[in-house]
Amino acid sequence: MKKKTIGLMALMLSTVVVLSTSCTSNGTGSASSSSAASSSAADSTQAVKLTDSKVELIKATDPGKSPDTANKRTDTFVATIHEPGGVFLPYFYDNGWDGNAVQPIFSSLVTVDDNGNPIPDLAEKWEISPDNLTYTYYLRPNLKFSDGSPLTAEDVAFTLTLLNDPAYAAGNVDFSNIVIKGTDEYKNGNATSISGIKVIDPTTIQITTEKLNPLSLTTLGGSVISKAYYGNGYQKGKLDYLRDLYAKPMGDGPYQLDQYINGQEIRYNANPNYYGGKPSIEHLIFKVTSTSTALQSFQTGQTDLDSFSTDQDTLEQLKALGFANIRIRTIPDFGIIYVNNKKPYLKDTAARQALYYGLDRQKIIDVKYNGYGEVANVFAAPTLWSYTEEGVTKYNYDPDKAKQLLEGLGWKAGSDGILQKDGQKLKLSYLTTKPDDPIIPIAKESYKAIGVDFVPEVLDANTMFDRLNKGDYDLLSVRTNGLIDPNDPVYEFSSTDPNVNPSGYSNPTVTQLIKEGISTSDKTKRQTIYTKLYQELSKDPPVILIDYRKSISAWNDRIIGGENYTTGASDVAIQLAKLKIR
Amino acid sequence: MIPILFGISLLIFFLFALMPGDYFSSNRRLSPQRLEELRALYGMNKPLIVRYFIWLKNVFHGDFGFSLQHMQPVTTLINQYIWNSFIVALATLFFTWTIALVIGIYSATKQYSIFDRLVTLGVFASLSVPSFFIGLLLIKLFGVDLHILPIGGMIDTGSTTTGLAYVLEVLRHMILPITVLTFLSVGSLTRYFRTGMLEVLRMDFIRTARAKGLKERTVIFRHALRNAILPAITLLAFELPGLFSGAIITEQIFSWPGIGRIQLDALSARDYPVLMTLTMLLAFLTILGNFLADVLYAAADPRIRLTKKEGG
Repeated sequence: MKKKTIGLMALMLSTVVVLSTSCTSNGTGSASSSSAASSSAADSTQAVKLTDSKVELIKATDPGKSPDTANKRTDTFVATIHEPGGVFLPYFYDNGWDGNAVQPIFSSLVTVDDNGNPIPDLAEKWEISPDNLTYTYYLRPNLKFSDGSPLTAEDVAFTLTLLNDPAYAAGNVDFSNIVIKGTDEYKNGNATSISGIKVIDPTTIQITTEKLNPLSLTTLGGSVISKAYYGNGYQKGKLDYLRDLYAKPMGDGPYQLDQYINGQEIRYNANPNYYGGKPSIEHLIFKVTSTSTALQSFQTGQTDLDSFSTDQDTLEQLKALGFANIRIRTIPDFGIIYVNNKKPYLKDTAARQALYYGLDRQKIIDVKYNGYGEVANVFAAPTLWSYTEEGVTKYNYDPDKAKQLLEGLGWKAGSDGILQKDGQKLKLSYLTTKPDDPIIPIAKESYKAIGVDFVPEVLDANTMFDRLNKGDYDLLSVRTNGLIDPNDPVYEFSSTDPNVNPSGYSNPTVTQLIKEGISTSDKTKRQTIYTKLYQELSKDPPVILIDYRKSISAWNDRIIGGENYTTGASDVAIQLAKLKIR
Repeated sequence: MIPILFGISLLIFFLFALMPGDYFSSNRRLSPQRLEELRALYGMNKPLIVRYFIWLKNVFHGDFGFSLQHMQPVTTLINQYIWNSFIVALATLFFTWTIALVIGIYSATKQYSIFDRLVTLGVFASLSVPSFFIGLLLIKLFGVDLHILPIGGMIDTGSTTTGLAYVLEVLRHMILPITVLTFLSVGSLTRYFRTGMLEVLRMDFIRTARAKGLKERTVIFRHALRNAILPAITLLAFELPGLFSGAIITEQIFSWPGIGRIQLDALSARDYPVLMTLTMLLAFLTILGNFLADVLYAAADPRIRLTKKEGG
């Protein structure tokens, strides 16, 4: 279907097929570039073990080599962005790059560090009730917006009310898994305010929720929208008036918008009213660059910081520049192959284990990352605090074991070498969005060796996810979103709703552990629970874990503090404010 | 023309809408409940035919919809980017035609000369080199090694130039993209002109002209050329939509803020209003181009005027 449509459009988009679109478009996308699949033999590269060292820094060897173009910008820091859309209002953009673009303008109440630990931002502290449903935030005293007006708990209340307005139609914040008390009466009834939001005094706000969710603290404690600036003319059910303000943001972060030049660059000026004091660097620019010329732009001094494709060549070139500080860092996500547990031939644990054993994952990672990736065995990214390999079964490539497991399920090799049972061949469809997906050739070969007919299909993302949600697949390749809480990647396996849990996996022990995992905010208790959960999930695997990956970013040595700044990370505003130019 | 546009709109609308999945289906952060709410808010839960008529009605009121991805009216969005693509395409068109015309005709008159052979070689190079390769090569050469041309974008980082200085700055940034695009399209056109000219040169009336003792220049430029470029009118008319469609890969490599990327993004994200508007615009321009070709033909070729008069 999709192929046909593309064919039809070939006239106008004659080159569309060649490009494989990168980058996410929903949620705050991290700017880390996806690695280029390289096929050179991994002879010289020794794989850096992700789980041991989370961040590797390579210092600049010759800072004097910094190009004049960069050195001339004594009061400007140039970072990069790829496809901003121009909606500079938190919660109302729909393009992940706009999410990156608003970060310098709007601080959050609470944000998280690289390991997923909450850290104070606009709120100096917070309290969570013992039942984990009521959140109290204490704002810093004398907070101001960039126009000098005070920022109070009223603004926070206004922000949360906007987001639960019946007309709120942007897709990037979702309160349906948190539910502030009284939302329903506000959304669908006559209530004029949401009863669960209580302003106690100008610096204290208390929010009562209805559902347990470890992300509530950061979701409720997100960016703050000024009631005085954005609330003028607000009526319940009518949010269209805000569109006029999309291009004119007014926030509380370290920088304020100066100018957006469509599709080219976003310019910011330091905010004198920032709570941490006016940032030392007067101007900030997010410049639009293409991934194919990121290195050239950096080399010639057009940019001060960027992320690059993860391969040995690029790394060597960056090292040769002399003025570049390089950081190799693990990205908080992982790749998986969904397995449709609802299919009769995949519902047995042994069948999924066989698919695990029968797949040469190390080879996939070698081809895909050339030393900058690692086989995933745990349902968490190595950066997450809950990550542990304790007692986790690792499914190392073992085709004989895979064969045995399948034979144990009653599959017998037919004359063509493909396994059969009751006259049915073991044929598995595999959906992916990337035509150059290295899993295709490797899995085809390794699965053929154990008698499984592997049939890949390349689709566009929307079609693929539609089929995932409808259960119309056997295997399907996907990456998780950027992970913040250990609950993020496992939550779905506890649900009975096929839209939430498209793998159709069900295991009472796992469901119980996942529920326990979010019922407390005590980290030690949670660690014990997740350790047990990871073991259970490895014994009875719902899906096939594939890889963890690294990213390479570099910054000009003239920027002090560049090692702490990652475009798109949650704590961007805090780190930006600390940067200095040498 | 109008019925054709209706037909196209119907076809495109249903093709897009019937593709499995919609704008929200790839956003895995949303709960099923929120997805339902969002689809209802954007009217995606209504029957297809109703949605088509809503779209049609809005178009008649000059409302081309609201981009889901960019959160702004589609017309505003397109207006922001399409002219960036237009100026590059227009300059490319000018250079391609000038160069192809000159080289094509010259090499046709000197068939099998060294020059002609070199041209043929160049033509094949132009046809076979991929745009990203030549683009990156030129960037490396002129942007990084020689340091004389910018790597990408339309303006220098943080530039605040205005007036003439701004125009010159943009022109400087246009050089590489135009070079790449011209190089890529000049090959086929040269070949076209060369063949057309060769064909005409073999015609009887050329022999007659030469036999009359006319100067070779007059034969070539007065008699042969005018006949040889006649079919090019059709070709030129077909370039019309190309002026507004953007060059996806080249724009991407040079970070040129053009419409090509917007279109590609809209396609991969299922941003229906943007897709519909852009596709309809290009369809309209194609039809318009055809129409213009007919008119121009009639103006340029007396034979067509004649048949029309006789017929009607």
